[in-house]
Amino acid sequence: MSRPVGPVLRMSDDVDAIVAAIMDDNPGQEITVVDRGAYTRVSGDGDLRVTRTSIERHLGRAFEMRQLEGLMPSFAGRIDMTSEEVRWQLKGPA
Amino acid sequence: MARETWYDIARDVDWELSYVDYEAVFPEWMCGQGKVPREAWAKWDEPYKVTYPEYVATQREKETGAYSVKAALRKSRIFDQLDEGWKSVVKEHFGAVALVEDLAVYAELRMARFGLSPAWRNMATFGALDETRHAQISLYFPHELVGKDPQYDWAHKAYQTNQWGIIAARAAFDGMMINPNVVDVAVQLPFTLETGFTNVQFVALAADALESGDVSFANMISSIQTDEARHSQQGGPTLEILVEHDPRRAQWIIDKTFWVSARLFSILTGPGMDYYTPLPMRQQSYKEFIQEWVAGQFLDQLRAYGLKEPWYWDEFMAGLDTWHHALHLGVWYWRPTVWWKPQGGVSPQEREWLREKYPQWEEQFGPIWDVIIGNINAGRIDLTLPQTLPWLCNLCHLPIGTAGAPRNEKFPVRSYPLDYNGYTYYFCSRPCRQIWWEDRDTLYDPTVIERLLGGEVQPPTVEGVLNWMGLTPEVRGDDAYGYRWARPYAAHQRAGEESGTPDGGTETGNPAAQTPAQAPEPAGPAGQGRPVPVNAMFENDFVAQLVVVLDTDTVDEAARKVAAHVVARRVPPRDAGFIVRHDGRVLPGDSTVAESGISALDVVNVGWAE
Repeated sequence: MSRPVGPVLRMSDDVDAIVAAIMDDNPGQEITVVDRGAYTRVSGDGDLRVTRTSIERHLGRAFEMRQLEGLMPSFAGRIDMTSEEVRWQLKGPA
Repeated sequence: MARETWYDIARDVDWELSYVDYEAVFPEWMCGQGKVPREAWAKWDEPYKVTYPEYVATQREKETGAYSVKAALRKSRIFDQLDEGWKSVVKEHFGAVALVEDLAVYAELRMARFGLSPAWRNMATFGALDETRHAQISLYFPHELVGKDPQYDWAHKAYQTNQWGIIAARAAFDGMMINPNVVDVAVQLPFTLETGFTNVQFVALAADALESGDVSFANMISSIQTDEARHSQQGGPTLEILVEHDPRRAQWIIDKTFWVSARLFSILTGPGMDYYTPLPMRQQSYKEFIQEWVAGQFLDQLRAYGLKEPWYWDEFMAGLDTWHHALHLGVWYWRPTVWWKPQGGVSPQEREWLREKYPQWEEQFGPIWDVIIGNINAGRIDLTLPQTLPWLCNLCHLPIGTAGAPRNEKFPVRSYPLDYNGYTYYFCSRPCRQIWWEDRDTLYDPTVIERLLGGEVQPPTVEGVLNWMGLTPEVRGDDAYGYRWARPYAAHQRAGEESGTPDGGTETGNPAAQTPAQAPEPAGPAGQGRPVPVNAMFENDFVAQLVVVLDTDTVDEAARKVAAHVVARRVPPRDAGFIVRHDGRVLPGDSTVAESGISALDVVNVGWAE
C-alpha cells in the first residue's frame, strides 16, 4: 500500500461497526485493519470513504456524522466531511 | 437543513473595513502574510467542517465519556495496582503537557483574532475552546492523586518552575505558539506538531496505557486527540496557500518545527515507552511508534502538499536508535532533577528487548549501564548520582551528547559550537545550530548552564540548583523500583568482578573515590587560582558536562577533575593516565590551565593516555 489513508479509531463499542461500514463502502479495495487495543488503524490505498447510512446499518441505530469525531483521534490522508459521507484521500507526488 | 447548504455562507461572513486601515486590524508582524497576496486567503477552506451546535453536542459527549470512566474507576483499586514505572509515564506527561495546553489556548486565540480568513478564525475559535478543555481535564485528572503522591502536584507546578526539561519545553512551545506570526503558528502547531508528534503522545501512548491497566488515562488522552484531529486541520489550508506563494518559507517552518519537536518528544515520550512501561505491556518500541505515526503518516502528508522531507532526515531517522536512550540515561542519572521516578529499565530481560529492538544499544549504552549496575550492587549509590550538570544545547536545551551516542562515528557525542558576537554558543547537533542561527531572534532562551554561570542560581551547588528548579525534597525523582532491576546482575558480578565496580580503580584511573564533590563554585580563596568553567567531555561517556577547574591547575589536575564526574561512575576505570585535547591539540600535562590557553566555556576533551 503506497498511500495509506483512513481513520484511526479509539477504543469503543462502535469500532467494529465502523470498520464493517468502511468495508461495505469500499468494495474491491484492499483494506488493512491494525488493532493495537487502545486504537485501531484502518487503511485503504489513496482513497477511502464511509457513509452515514452504512454506519447506521451496522450500528442498528441512528448516527450523525459529527459523532465520528468522538471516535477518531487521528487519520491518515486529507479528510473531506459532509453530513452523509467522510472521505480520506492522498494526492500529489508520491 | 443539511449543513452543506448554508455552512459556507455563514462561515464566510466578514467585514469590509472602511473606518480603519486593513494593516491596523491585521498588522503584518502578527498576521505574517509575507509574500502571499491578501486575496489568496479567500481560498482558505477547512476540510473538517463543524458547526457550533454540532461542536457543543460532540464535546458534551466526549466530556461525558472521559469523566464517567474516571468516576467509575475512582473507587476501584486500579490506581494502587498500577506499576510505579507506568505512573512515572503519567507524571511526566501531566507536568510537561497540562499547561502547554493552556499555552495552546493563546495560540488558538491569536489565530482566531489575526487569522487571515473568516473560515480560519472560525475554526481557531473552536480550537481555543478545545485547548481550554485539554488544560482543564489535564489538571483535573491528576488533582485527586496529589494526596497519594506529591509528584502529581507537578501537573500544575512544573510549568511555573525553572526545571530544566520545562525550560526546554517552554523554549520549544513559545517558539511554536507565542513568538511567531499566526501563519507560522498554523504551520508549526496544528500542522507539524498536532498531526505529527502529538499523535505519538496521545494515541500511540494510549495503547501502552491500556495494556498497563490505566484505562482512565488511555481514555482521556485519546479523547483529547479527537479534538486535535479536527482543529489541526487549520494547518492544511494555511500550508496549501503558503506553498503556492512561498514554498521556501513553508518548507523552512516545517523543517525547524519538526526538528525541535523530535528532540523534545525523544525525552517526553521515548523513555516512557522503552523503559518505564512494564516490559510485557509494551505494544511497540518508541522507534516503531515513530515510524508508524511520524515517518509514515506525517511524511506521506507532507509529500502530498508538494514538500520534501527535511534536509536532516537521515540524521533524524538515525536518532531514533540513540536519542531517547541517551536522554533516558541522563534523566536516570540526574533523577533528583525530575518530578517523577524514572525506572532504570535495564534488567536482563529488558536489556534483551532493547538489544532486539535496537541492535546498536549494547555497544553504545551497555558499557555505561554496566558501570552503573556495578555501583548499585556494590552499595555505591552515591556514584550513580550527579555532582554537576550536563552542558545544555542553546537551541533544544537538552544535554549535549544526547543527539549522538558513544562509539557512534557518524553522530558522535560532541558539542557543535557557534561563535557569534564574541560569545560561543554550543549545540547538540548541526540542525539545532542551523535553526538557532536562522531564527535566533524568536528562539533564544538562556540555558540552565548560562543562568548558573551568570549567577542567577544561588548557591551554585547541586542542592542550590535543585531548589532553584523548584524541586522540593519530597518530589525529587529516584529509581522507580529501588534499583531492584539491577539485582539479578549481582551474582554474575561477584563471580567475575566485572569492570566498573568502584573498588577496581587505580590512583589515576579512579579519581571519584578521592575527589570531593565538585559542584560549580564561583571563586576559590585568593591566591588559589581563578575558577574556569569548561564544557568537558570524557571519552566514551554519553554527555558533555560543566566542570569547574582552576587556572592554576595543571592540565593533569584538570583532567582528574573532569574524570571525577565520569570514571567509575559511567566509564570503567583503567590503569592509565589521561590525555587532554583542546582546540585541536593535545596539551602537555604539566602546564597549567592558564598557560594552555583554556578559557572559560571552552570545550575540553579528556581521554585515556594509551
